[in-house]
Amino acid sequence: MNGPIRRLALGMFAAIFALLGAVTWYQVIRADDLKNDPRNARPALSERGKERGLIVTAAGDILAESVSDPADPRNFVRVYPGGPVFAHTVGYSSFLLGNTNLEAAYSDDLRSRRDLTISDLVAVILGRDLRPRSVEVTLDADLQAAAYAALGGRRGAVVALDPRTGAILTSVSSPSYNPEPLTGDDADAVWNELLADPQSPLSDRATRELFAPGSTFKAVVTAAAIDTGIAGPETEFPDPVEFDLPESDATIANFGGGDCNDGVSITLLRAFVVSCNTTFADLAIRVGATNLGITADALGFNTDLPFDWTIPRAIFPTNALENDPAALGQSGIGERDVRAAPLHMAMVAAAVANGGEVFSPYLVSRVFDSDGLTVEEFQPSSLGGAMTSATSSILSQMMERVVTEGTGRNAAVPGIRVAGKTGTSQGAGEFPNPWFIGFAPVENPTIALAVFLEGGPDLGESATGGGAAAPIAAELFQFWLRGEQ
Amino acid sequence: MTRRTEGATILAASVLAAFGVTLVNLANSGTLDAQSGLTFLIFVIAFGGLYLAARAWAPRSSSLLIAPVAALSAIGFLEIYRLDPARAALQRWWLLIGAAAAALVLWLLSKGTTEILRRYRYTILLLSMILLLLPNLPQDWALPLRGLEVNGSRLWIVLDLEITSLQFQPAELAKLGLVIFVAAYLADHQHALRQAHRKVGPFQFPEPRQLVPLLLTWGLSVLILISQRDLGASLLLFASFVLLLYATTGATGYLVTGGFLTVLAGVAGFYAFDHVQRRVAAWLQPFENFEDAGYQISQGLFALGSGSLTGAGPGLGRPDLIPNAETDFIFAAVGEELGFAGTIAVLALYALVIAVGLGIAFRSRDTFRKLLAAGLSFVLGVQTFLIIGGVLRLVPLTGITLPFMSYGGSALVGNLVLIALLLRISHEEAK
Repeated sequence: MNGPIRRLALGMFAAIFALLGAVTWYQVIRADDLKNDPRNARPALSERGKERGLIVTAAGDILAESVSDPADPRNFVRVYPGGPVFAHTVGYSSFLLGNTNLEAAYSDDLRSRRDLTISDLVAVILGRDLRPRSVEVTLDADLQAAAYAALGGRRGAVVALDPRTGAILTSVSSPSYNPEPLTGDDADAVWNELLADPQSPLSDRATRELFAPGSTFKAVVTAAAIDTGIAGPETEFPDPVEFDLPESDATIANFGGGDCNDGVSITLLRAFVVSCNTTFADLAIRVGATNLGITADALGFNTDLPFDWTIPRAIFPTNALENDPAALGQSGIGERDVRAAPLHMAMVAAAVANGGEVFSPYLVSRVFDSDGLTVEEFQPSSLGGAMTSATSSILSQMMERVVTEGTGRNAAVPGIRVAGKTGTSQGAGEFPNPWFIGFAPVENPTIALAVFLEGGPDLGESATGGGAAAPIAAELFQFWLRGEQ
Repeated sequence: MTRRTEGATILAASVLAAFGVTLVNLANSGTLDAQSGLTFLIFVIAFGGLYLAARAWAPRSSSLLIAPVAALSAIGFLEIYRLDPARAALQRWWLLIGAAAAALVLWLLSKGTTEILRRYRYTILLLSMILLLLPNLPQDWALPLRGLEVNGSRLWIVLDLEITSLQFQPAELAKLGLVIFVAAYLADHQHALRQAHRKVGPFQFPEPRQLVPLLLTWGLSVLILISQRDLGASLLLFASFVLLLYATTGATGYLVTGGFLTVLAGVAGFYAFDHVQRRVAAWLQPFENFEDAGYQISQGLFALGSGSLTGAGPGLGRPDLIPNAETDFIFAAVGEELGFAGTIAVLALYALVIAVGLGIAFRSRDTFRKLLAAGLSFVLGVQTFLIIGGVLRLVPLTGITLPFMSYGGSALVGNLVLIALLLRISHEEAK
């Protein structure tokens, strides 16, 4: 009888080894897949009710904070005092929807590392700080609020940079949403409602949506032309009513029809100031796709910018344009396939303002612990020179003329030297998208910005950058440099 | 292991249970309360008492059984406490009752020997059959003893007293009675069973006449399956019986026939019952049936995966997301909060208990005691494999408890009595 019992014992141990194998499979080999399965609610639930660190501005304005839950004092709820104004930058931390924006990018710092395990005890004994860390952002809360108010609920975005560092002073997208309801139990319902809103308040038009930059792109073309010596402000161009695109039946007309100057000739400066399309189609073809591409790339086009979330690449299709002069002519006025987010166009303005040197835009200046001690500090990071400083000062003067006597007069602020460039790009259907990029004060710029409005029935078919976007820029320059509205 | 180290290990297991409760309390409320002390006290009384009973009434018994069982109970208890403190409080009482029942069995058998069980085998069979069929009592008649349907299965009886009502799964005790009967029956007929063989290919098959008991047990299992919809108990009963038949005769034909009959019943059950179909679907494709039949298994696997190597820590995981975590899925709950380290420890402890049980069978000279010890070990082993294998998708999930760990009074009492029987056999067979 012992023979069969021995064999059955072996069978039993084989069965236990099978269990051991299976448990190894699920707990070791496939553990991460199971843990990260979207149907597994555990990772999100584990964050629920836990304290997270602050998101604050350098001036001390609190943008995100965990406060004790009145219903259950052991739990924390996340509040966003800035509400919709900061939703597209700060984001939200939701146990149902996950984390977004800065709440996602800095989640490992912001969350409490205290989870009551033995290793915690060891860490505490070793003097490590397990409390959540906080994040300090470069945003100026007041400027951000002013920009949001200036957009007035219209679809659009404002991005303002410190041209000397790339620090983002404002990044606002409108319309926006209140992040707090997304952190609670009703998050799914609120989310679906926002998703169904035709104004698409969830879209971040400032950094994550690309639009045709229109005439603001003429600043890039001009920089390339001056840099390569192909043209200067006083270079004379023909002044036709329509520019015949080579190797094509298509033509480019000027805004509102007609010529730009006297129907005979026009200087590059004059063409820039009045935003003459025929001249810039001509100029783009003269400069060539390769040269234009070099300047555009140096300004951050066709590049993955290092950032806290993925910024789509701004597009200037250099290769495709090299053998297609007609398309190159259209690209010279920021149409066709040229695309950029307001953030990219703010970088163009900042480069001109900063002597040609481009800084990578950044949103977080430092991470600090619960004692206020800096854990990590972020330094400005240069992307290099996009144009010579001589070119930038010429372009800067040209942009100032746009505001003093050209299409950008609405951006003028009494007593402050403002430089800028307007744009009115093709949007959806018949409705153009107004743009304005610029910086101030010209002699020592401390702010460079891009204002973008998304065309639609509310703005009308005749909206222009000078008419709709430039006044917002004026308001913000005034606010930033004078501290008044 | 000496008696002294056995005592120390039991004390350590009690500390483990209390420490687990402490950690759960810390995780939930950040405070300490009397639960830790109470748990420690109950474990010391239950397993310390059983230890003293074994010293008194089975002094030569194996010293390797009580400690691992105490450790398994401790690990199971901390998860039950974490999932449902009210049930854990009940489980503590059941622990005391189970230990008392086991001590009582040791005392009773010390008056004679386990031979007494063999002598009363038919009485025991009758009692077991009655116990097995009790849940089929009507749910709504006037008598205080009633059947009860839970989740579509009829495993429970309710005893309504004036003050309170007690729920019990009689199959947990009946399985012991049936193993005792089968061991006695096989010991009686071992020669007849062993001689009449006929070789078919590589397998030895018994004479058709000798297959009658096998077919009868199979019939009983199928009857349980149909009348009580209890896949687990039915499979456990039949598998243990087939293994014992094989242990007695060494005829591989029993294993082949038993396996064939199991598959036959399984296939027939698949076509006859919705709930069997659902179980098979959940087994083969848990994630595809996530919204439905596969939810429990999927959640169990998420729990195991989330627990990973070291687990979330007692009270810090979310095993409450698994339906019936404290009964069917206690293994997944351990996997989530104590991690791979915890599940390996649990499997090792079961391997130890089963090995000790089979070792007792192996060293027994008396055929009845040998078969009884083997049968009891098989019951433990098969039950452990069926439920853990069900959680880990090696076999379809059968709603059956994990010995010593799952919440459930009847199972705890039955399994502690099982341990008492093994202790007694090892005492009687010790030189």
